[in-house]
Amino acid sequence: MIPFEMVEPSSLQEAVGMLDPQDPAIRPVAGGTALMLMMKAGVFAPSRLVCLHRIEPRYSRIALTGSGELQIGAMATLSEVEHDANVAARLPALKRALRRLSNPRVRNVARVGGALAHGDPHMDLPPVLTALGARVTIVGPKGERVLPLERLYSGYYETVLEKNELITTATVPSLNGRKSAYMKVTLRSADDWPALGVAVSFKLQNGAIRDPVIVVSAATEKVTRMTSTEKVLQGAAPDDATLARAGDAAVAEASILADAHGSAAYKRELLRVYMRRAVRQALADDAQRVQS
Amino acid sequence: MNQVGRDIPRLEVRAKVTGRADYTHNLRLPGMLYGKVFRATVPHGRIRSIDTQAARELPGVYRVVTGEDIRKLIPEPYYGPAFHDQPILALDKVRYVGEPVAAVLAGDPHVAELAVQLILAEYDELPAVYDEVAAMQPDTLVHDVLRPAGTFADLKHLQGRKGTNVALDYHLRRGDADKAFAAADRVIEHTFKTQQCLHLPFEPHVAIAEPGDDRLTIYTSNQTPSFVRIEIARLFGWPENHVRVKVPYLGGGYGSKVYVKLEALVAALAMLVRRPVKIALTMEEQFYMITKHPTTFRIKSGVDKEGRLVARSCAVYWNGGAYADIGPRVTQKSGFTAAGPYDIDNVSIDSYALYTNRTPAGALRGFGVPQLVWAYESHTDLIARELGVDPVEFRRKNLLRDGRPQASGTVLQDAAIGEVLDALAVRIGWNKPFDRGSGTLRRGRGIAIGFKASISPTTSVAVVNVSADGSVYLYKSTVDMGQGSDTAFAQIVGEVLDVKAEDVRVVAPDTDITPYDMGTLGSRSLFHMGTAVRLAAEDARAKLRALATEAGLPQGTNYPPAEIFKKRYGMQAGNVIGTASYVPNYKPPDPQTGLSDNVTPFWMVGGAAAEVEVDTETGHVRILRLVNAADCGKPINPGVARTQLSGAAIMQLGFTMSEAMHLDGGQITNASLADYKIPGIGDIPPMENELVAAEQHSGPFGAKGLGESGTFGVSPAIANAIHDAVGVRITELPITAEAVLRALRVKAGQPLDDE
Repeated sequence: MIPFEMVEPSSLQEAVGMLDPQDPAIRPVAGGTALMLMMKAGVFAPSRLVCLHRIEPRYSRIALTGSGELQIGAMATLSEVEHDANVAARLPALKRALRRLSNPRVRNVARVGGALAHGDPHMDLPPVLTALGARVTIVGPKGERVLPLERLYSGYYETVLEKNELITTATVPSLNGRKSAYMKVTLRSADDWPALGVAVSFKLQNGAIRDPVIVVSAATEKVTRMTSTEKVLQGAAPDDATLARAGDAAVAEASILADAHGSAAYKRELLRVYMRRAVRQALADDAQRVQS
Repeated sequence: MNQVGRDIPRLEVRAKVTGRADYTHNLRLPGMLYGKVFRATVPHGRIRSIDTQAARELPGVYRVVTGEDIRKLIPEPYYGPAFHDQPILALDKVRYVGEPVAAVLAGDPHVAELAVQLILAEYDELPAVYDEVAAMQPDTLVHDVLRPAGTFADLKHLQGRKGTNVALDYHLRRGDADKAFAAADRVIEHTFKTQQCLHLPFEPHVAIAEPGDDRLTIYTSNQTPSFVRIEIARLFGWPENHVRVKVPYLGGGYGSKVYVKLEALVAALAMLVRRPVKIALTMEEQFYMITKHPTTFRIKSGVDKEGRLVARSCAVYWNGGAYADIGPRVTQKSGFTAAGPYDIDNVSIDSYALYTNRTPAGALRGFGVPQLVWAYESHTDLIARELGVDPVEFRRKNLLRDGRPQASGTVLQDAAIGEVLDALAVRIGWNKPFDRGSGTLRRGRGIAIGFKASISPTTSVAVVNVSADGSVYLYKSTVDMGQGSDTAFAQIVGEVLDVKAEDVRVVAPDTDITPYDMGTLGSRSLFHMGTAVRLAAEDARAKLRALATEAGLPQGTNYPPAEIFKKRYGMQAGNVIGTASYVPNYKPPDPQTGLSDNVTPFWMVGGAAAEVEVDTETGHVRILRLVNAADCGKPINPGVARTQLSGAAIMQLGFTMSEAMHLDGGQITNASLADYKIPGIGDIPPMENELVAAEQHSGPFGAKGLGESGTFGVSPAIANAIHDAVGVRITELPITAEAVLRALRVKAGQPLDDE
């Protein structure tokens, strides 16, 4: 690792000012769990890191709004989200995803903003929060903008963020009875990066699926919303036949890539299976919650 | 108080968990330079040029060194335990991607790292060979001339050859296999393959050389300090005592740190610049240091009408990578047992060590035996299934038992193979019904056993020093890398001299102080060094008695040592030094038949039984239970022994289920822990570990080595269990979920696309 400059601004505005839209060697660092790996591997050599640890504490807060939305400050650690009472009570799929996200040491350090902004398609928070309809608040020199999370990702490790923009908040709407699940398929070890992630959320009305959101990650270039698959599910009862059709639709729709986890052909089979399992998990999870 | 058999914690654990234990990584010497290695980017090529100018001109760089610079210091700068084939830095040619080509020295390791990226090398690329079977043909030659070393007694027969990639071929002919196949009721043949994987100790390789006048001190994380001393002295043309090798605790070794690894490079660099030089590999660089042999194993068995194995032929191809390292010995020693722990009159074994353009392969926990057991226990299971007999019963019927000659001709003694098989069957409940699952989750069980000949002949020397107050030192060059050898030896000394094991000071290997040992490898230490330690302690005890007599104390009385010293010397003064060497008898195999009636001083025996659950929609295999059993004789420290058994099994579990180095055009595409997955805590199945009741009569207090035995059965036990669950056979490691699903789909007539 080559020595570099580390600055620690005490406000968000100051931090934004220290970033440079033209210089890819200057980057913000929150928890650093992903960035440090890239630096150790030699794929990223910073000239300056803008450390966000000292910015205003409000960017670390997790709070419920009057309308039942959960606002997660970008500097909240993943374990703070994991152990948040509102998350546990209102967003079981998120809680479950966090329990299996890397390991406690990483979760104690990694921040929500970094996990969303990094753009690695193997990460867990982007698909699960996309399926939950989250939006992100972004601050840059020109002010603030709000974007649905699904529109943040533009490619492999690529987002629509400018190099001097920072995510400040992720806002997750109330489920309002929607059922949700995230299934992560790890192949080589339990703590491996996923070979495939499938996140779903939907309403169940009179036994039929309504307004489904289906998201695929890890096996694709970027976190991808599966709109054709959603159409197959829309208005259908979640029975074997529907779920088989949804699996076929997902396989037809997703651009699945081969990598060290496995061939594309194999991952397509996984998608077919986990499409069904994710919907079933969402239904089962909900049933469990009602019982408890 | 009895010290042997006590379940004491390892003596060094407190120092380790409190961070006080010394490791080479922590050591910094005054004036020390850090070295970083520039590595080859092509798998096979002649070096056209190495441009080091930009690196040299980087501020903070002390020197950039190439192979030619080293050749000026050491005319023949080649090293290796079996062949002197490995240049300290590449000369003329590179033979694998990642081979060290140049080294940068700087006071700041970050500067050295940056400078490495400024070096440019050009190569005339040559055709490369990666596959062990393809390497049997002389189309692409990795080495123009083979250079056997002749260092070790058991490898003396190696002859330099030209026009081949075969570093060593071992052939065993017992009985008449061809005739027996012709007469057999059935002949069954399979081919099994294993992948390239590696040790990955949490402490990567690290070494420091500190120069003097025609002298060197080397601080290194290495399993063979005595060998390092001899080999470095040979390179410089010095007497042994001009090289001092010091080894503190190791953060794991598993065979990756045997013989010379970084030591020749740091020694040459330190002598060139006359300053201490340290090189510490990153986790990722380990992928370019030493690996486990990939293998192809063709195995054929003949069975008679009664279900008895009458003939077996084995052809094993060992992919040794670009440099032989200790691969030739792996090829020969494991060759002895390639036909498995079965009583077969007609055996033919052909075992080949091959050069290829990959990272070199060497010793890895099991020394080739896990690759063999994978094949012969998968094969044995398939035979039983084809015959329609119970796989455990089939094994029992054909088992090699004490008193019967093994394939090499050496008679089996103190090898509890049947007891291990029985223990596994009982623990897994082989004869009891179990839940076979339903729907898309199917369960099955499998069992596998293996055995191993110890490396022989090898020498260990120990010194026991009793101080004037009765406190005791033990000097030995066995390296404690986590296996608990210091503790076991302290228990042996304590047993003989009647002191508590905790009160024996075990001195870390330092070749100026601790005597010769062949190396900490191949599960040999407890048997070989353990015997030397016992004999040295007995020598000390005899000398204490003599001292008591000298001092005029009546014979047969039991004065404490402190009183004997005081009486003899008039004050607290003096020492009693006990010493002993141990080398077992050995007979080299006949060059024609490969037979010998004494190939090993003891046999290691281990096995595993597994219960698995297969998800038939995804191919995912969940291991519900893993039972490990081994014969380690009478354990010196049963608690530590059991952790050796479970640790070895977990390591082999990684090689079974996930670990594989992927190669694309000679480049390793997953040289990092992010994409080369070792088991995490979440992957460890419920395990039971049993040491069967046994005794190694020739071993110290009935004990023998155990470090590798837990690896033997794991892979085939799991493959056999998968077959039992879903009726498909996996013949190549690792057993990925994708491999299982593909096999299921082929069976169902709906194969998956290739891509």
